[in-house]
Amino acid sequence: MPNWSIALIPLLPLLATLWIAVGFSFGWNRAEKGEKETAYVASISILLSFLLVLGVDVSVFLESVQNRVQVATWLSTADYQITIAFILDQLSLTMATLVSFIGLLVTRFSINYLHREAGYQRFFMLLSLFNAAMLLIALSANAVLTFIAWELAGVSSFLLIAYSWHRDIATHNAIRAFISNRIGDAGFLLGIALAFFWLGTIEWTELASAAKEKDVSEIFLSIILLGFLLAALAKSAQFPFCAWITRALEGPTPSSAIFYGAIMVHAGVYLLLRLQPLLEQVPTIMVIIMIIGLITASYAYLVGLVQTDVKSSFMFSTLAQVGLMLVWIGNAWFSLALIHLVLHAIWRSYQFLHAPSFMQQINRPARPVPKWLTKQSWLYNAALQRFWLDSISDWLFTNPTTTIAREVQIFDEQIVDRLTGTQSHANMLSSLSHWEAHQQGRLILKTEIGTGSGLFGSFIQGLAAAFYWFEEHLILKSSGEGLLKLIRHLGKHMQSIDRLLTQPRYLLLLIMATFVVVL
Amino acid sequence: MLYSSLLVLLFLPLFGAILIAILPSKQVRLIRATAIVFSGLSLLLSIYFITFGDITPNDKGLWLSYTQEWNSRLGTSFSIGVDGLSYAMVILTTLLVWVAVMASGSIKKHPKGYYLLILGLETAIIGVFMARDWALFYVFWEFTLIPLFFLIDRWGDRDRQTASLKFVLYTMGGSVFMLLSLLVLFDATPAHSFSFEAIAQGAKSLDESEQVLLFFGLLIGFGVKMPIFPLHGWLPLADVEAPGPISILLSGILLKMGAYGLIQTTMMLPLAAHALQSLLVILALIAIIYGGLLAWKQSDLKKMIAYSSIAHMGVVLLGISSLNSSGITGAIYQMIAHGFVAGALFMLIGLLYERTDTKDINDYGSLLYTTPKFAFFIIIGFIAGTGLPGTVGFIAELHVMIGGFEQWGWLMAFLGFGILITAAYGIRTIKYLFTGPEKMEMQAVQDLRPTEVLAATVLIVGILVFGFYPTPILDMISHNVDQFVQLTQIKG
Repeated sequence: MPNWSIALIPLLPLLATLWIAVGFSFGWNRAEKGEKETAYVASISILLSFLLVLGVDVSVFLESVQNRVQVATWLSTADYQITIAFILDQLSLTMATLVSFIGLLVTRFSINYLHREAGYQRFFMLLSLFNAAMLLIALSANAVLTFIAWELAGVSSFLLIAYSWHRDIATHNAIRAFISNRIGDAGFLLGIALAFFWLGTIEWTELASAAKEKDVSEIFLSIILLGFLLAALAKSAQFPFCAWITRALEGPTPSSAIFYGAIMVHAGVYLLLRLQPLLEQVPTIMVIIMIIGLITASYAYLVGLVQTDVKSSFMFSTLAQVGLMLVWIGNAWFSLALIHLVLHAIWRSYQFLHAPSFMQQINRPARPVPKWLTKQSWLYNAALQRFWLDSISDWLFTNPTTTIAREVQIFDEQIVDRLTGTQSHANMLSSLSHWEAHQQGRLILKTEIGTGSGLFGSFIQGLAAAFYWFEEHLILKSSGEGLLKLIRHLGKHMQSIDRLLTQPRYLLLLIMATFVVVL
Repeated sequence: MLYSSLLVLLFLPLFGAILIAILPSKQVRLIRATAIVFSGLSLLLSIYFITFGDITPNDKGLWLSYTQEWNSRLGTSFSIGVDGLSYAMVILTTLLVWVAVMASGSIKKHPKGYYLLILGLETAIIGVFMARDWALFYVFWEFTLIPLFFLIDRWGDRDRQTASLKFVLYTMGGSVFMLLSLLVLFDATPAHSFSFEAIAQGAKSLDESEQVLLFFGLLIGFGVKMPIFPLHGWLPLADVEAPGPISILLSGILLKMGAYGLIQTTMMLPLAAHALQSLLVILALIAIIYGGLLAWKQSDLKKMIAYSSIAHMGVVLLGISSLNSSGITGAIYQMIAHGFVAGALFMLIGLLYERTDTKDINDYGSLLYTTPKFAFFIIIGFIAGTGLPGTVGFIAELHVMIGGFEQWGWLMAFLGFGILITAAYGIRTIKYLFTGPEKMEMQAVQDLRPTEVLAATVLIVGILVFGFYPTPILDMISHNVDQFVQLTQIKG
C-alpha cells in the first residue's frame, strides 16, 4: 500500500465537504434536487475511508506496513519539525476502524432522517468534516496534527449544535458549548508548547522516550500532562466540564449520536490512551484521572436518575460510562479502557439513533426516581439542578468577564476612541429616509478616502497629503513631463545642427576637423 | 530535463506569436484560442519540467545551462540557464501570461496584434530570467520594451500615449546607466566575456570605490524597473492606463525583473552592497511608507494597487538590503507573493472596471449580493496583500521582518507601520466595494465568467497553498539563498 493512501483516509471526507460546499455556492446541489448527489458524495467518501482503514488493518496485521508513515514535512526549522505523518498501531487503527464504521452508519441513517430538511446539504457537509477530523485525530502521529483535527471536530460540532440557527436557544447553546471546549484547547496548546520546549518533540510515540532520555523532572511532565488532561476532560465532558454536553443535544439526532454518544465524547479518552507511556511515568496524574473519573461517574449517575427526557438520560449515562473509562485509565488498565470505549461507542450510537422511535415503541411509563433518592431531599434537589455546575461557572467566569468588559468598554469609549478616532460611517445609511434620499440623489455620501480620524488618523492624513504633493509636483510633473520637455528641447537643437550639417561648408569643416583629430 | 527543454520553453511563446501572425485577422476566436493554447502549454511545460525534471544544481549552481558562442570578438554568447530563483520567476511569468490571456476576453480592437505582442513579450521576459550572459540579458531586457510600448500605446486608456512614452523613456534612461556599468565591468574582466561568471570574477578585482560607482549605475537601471523611490514615476501612470491584462504583467512580472537584476548585482558587487547597505534600507523603508500612504490616499482603484506595488517591492528591497539568509529568503518569497497578489488584484479590478466603466472607489458599493464571486476573490486578494497569516504574503513579510531585525533592529517598526497602512486601505476598499447602501447602477454588474473564475482560482489557490505550505518554494530557492549569503559575507 503506498504511503499517500493513508492520507486519503481523512482526506476523502474532507474532499466531500469541499465538494458539497463548492456545489452549494455554485448552486448545483441546492434544494431537494441536490439531496441525492449530496448523500452519495458523503456516504461514498466515508465508505471508501472505511474500506481503506480495513485494508490498512489487514496490512498491519500481516505486517507489511510500517508503524509510522510520513507523507510530507509541513514546517521545519533548525530545532523543530512538524510533519504530516500517521501512526498505525493497534490503538490508532482500532479507533480509526470504529470512527469510520460508525461514521458510515450514521451517514447512511441521516440520508432518510433528514430528507426534506432545510439544511440538508449543510448537515452532510459538516458531518463529512467531522468524520475527516475524527479520522485525523485517530491517525495523526503528532500533537499539532491532532490539534488541528481536534479544532475541526470542535468547529463542526459547534456548527451542528447551531443547526437551526434561527432559534435563539440553539445558537446560545452552541456558543456555550464551544467556549467550554476552548478551555480545553488552551490546555492542549499549552501541552504542545511545553512538550516542544521541555521534551523537544511532539511525536506521540517519542514523548515518553524523550522524557527518559533528557531526564525531565516529574513536575515538568506533570504540567505537560495536565495540559493534555484539561483538553481531554473538556472534550469528553468530564468533571468539571459536564455542563456543556447536555446543551449540545440541540443539534439533529444523528449528529448527537455520533458526536456526543459515540465518537467525540471518547476523543478525550483516546488522547489519554495515546499518552499511556508518558502517563505511566507520572503516577500522580493517574491518581487525579481516577478521582475525576469517579466524581464524574457518580455525578452522572445521580443526575441521570432524575432526567425526564430520553436524550438527556442517555447523555448522563454516557458520561457515567466515560467516567468509568477514566477510572480504568487511572488504574493503568489501558486495554480494558479501550475495549470499554469500543463497545460503549457501538452500543450508544445504536441507542441514540433509536431515541426518536423509543417514544412510539415503549408504552409503559418511565421508571420513577428511586425511593432512597427522594428521601434525601438535598441530594434530590442537587441532582435536579445538575449540581449547579452551570450557575457556578456563570458566577465564576461569565459574570466577572461581563463586568470587566463593561469597564473596559467605558475606558475604550472615553479615552481610546478619542485618541484613535472612531471608524466613520461614510458610506453607510442609517435610516430608510436616508436611503430614499440617497436613491433620489438628494443625499450625497461623503467619501472618506484619504481622510483619517483621531490623533493617529490625522497624523497619517497629514503625512499622506505631504507625500501626495511631493509625488504630484516633483515626481509625476517635473520628472515625467519635464523629461519629455527636455527631450523636445534637445530635439529642436539637434534639428538645427542637422540643418547646418546639410550645408556643404559645414560638412567640409567637420571632415577637416576629423582629419585633424585622426592625424 | 535536457537543455533543449530550456530552448523549447523560451521559444514556444514566440512560435505561438508567429503562428498568430500568419492567421487571418478575421478569425478572432481562433486567434484567441491559439493564444490560450500556447500560453497554457508554456505554463504546463514549465510546471512539468520542475515536477519531473532533475533539479540538482551543478558546479555553477545551475540546474541546467546551454551556451552557444555568439560573437567571440565582442565576447558575447547565447548562454542560458536556470536555477531555483530564475526558474521560480519563469513559472511566475508563464502563469501570469496565461492569466492575462484568459482575462483578455473583452479585447475587441485588433486582437491579432494584441495576442501576438503578448506572446512575444512572454519570450522576452523568460529570456531575461534565463540569460546567463549580461549582453544577452541586456538584449532581452530591452526587447521587453517593444511589445509593452505598443500594448499600452494602442490598447490603453485615455492617457495612453503619455503613459507608454513615459514608461519607455524611464526604462531607457535607466538602461543607459546599466549599460555603462556593464561595459566598465566588461573592461575590468580579463576573460573577455560577458558571461555572468566571468564578469563576477572580474568584479572581484575592483576596489570598493569603483564597485560603489558601478553599483549605483546598476541600481538606477534596475531601480527604475523595480521601482525604487524616487524612480517610480512611470508606474502609476502606466499601470492605470494599460489595459487590465497588461497591468497584471506590468505589476506581476516586469517589476520582478528589476528585483532579479538587483539580486544578481548584489551578489556580483558585495563590497558595494555592504557600503550602500544603509542607503538601500532607507530607500526601502521610504518606498514602503510612501507607497502605502499614497495608495491609502487614492480613490482610483488601479492607481491604489499601483502604489501598493511600490510598497510591496519596497519589502523586497528591504529583504535584499539586510544581506542575510532570512532577508533574502523573504525578498525572493515576496517577489513570488507579489506576483500572485498583484496579478490577482489587477486582474479582478480590471474585469470590474470593464463592467462598470469607473475606477473611482466612491462609485462602487453593495457588490456583495450582485457579484459574490468577485467579492470572494477580491477579499482574499486584499487580505493576502495585507500579509495575513495563511496567505503567501505572510511568509514573505515574516522572513523579511526577521532578517531585517537581525540587521537593523528596531528600524523594522517602520515595516510594521507599512503593513498597518496596507491593512487600512485593504479593508477600506473591501468595505467600499462590497458593503454600503445599494446602488442602482451596481445592480446589473455581471459576475465572473467561467474562464475568469478559472484564472482567478489558480491565483487564489496559489496564494493560499503557498501561505500554508511554503516548503516547496523554500526548497527551490534554498540554493540561491546559500549562494547569496556566501557571496555577500566576504566583507573584511
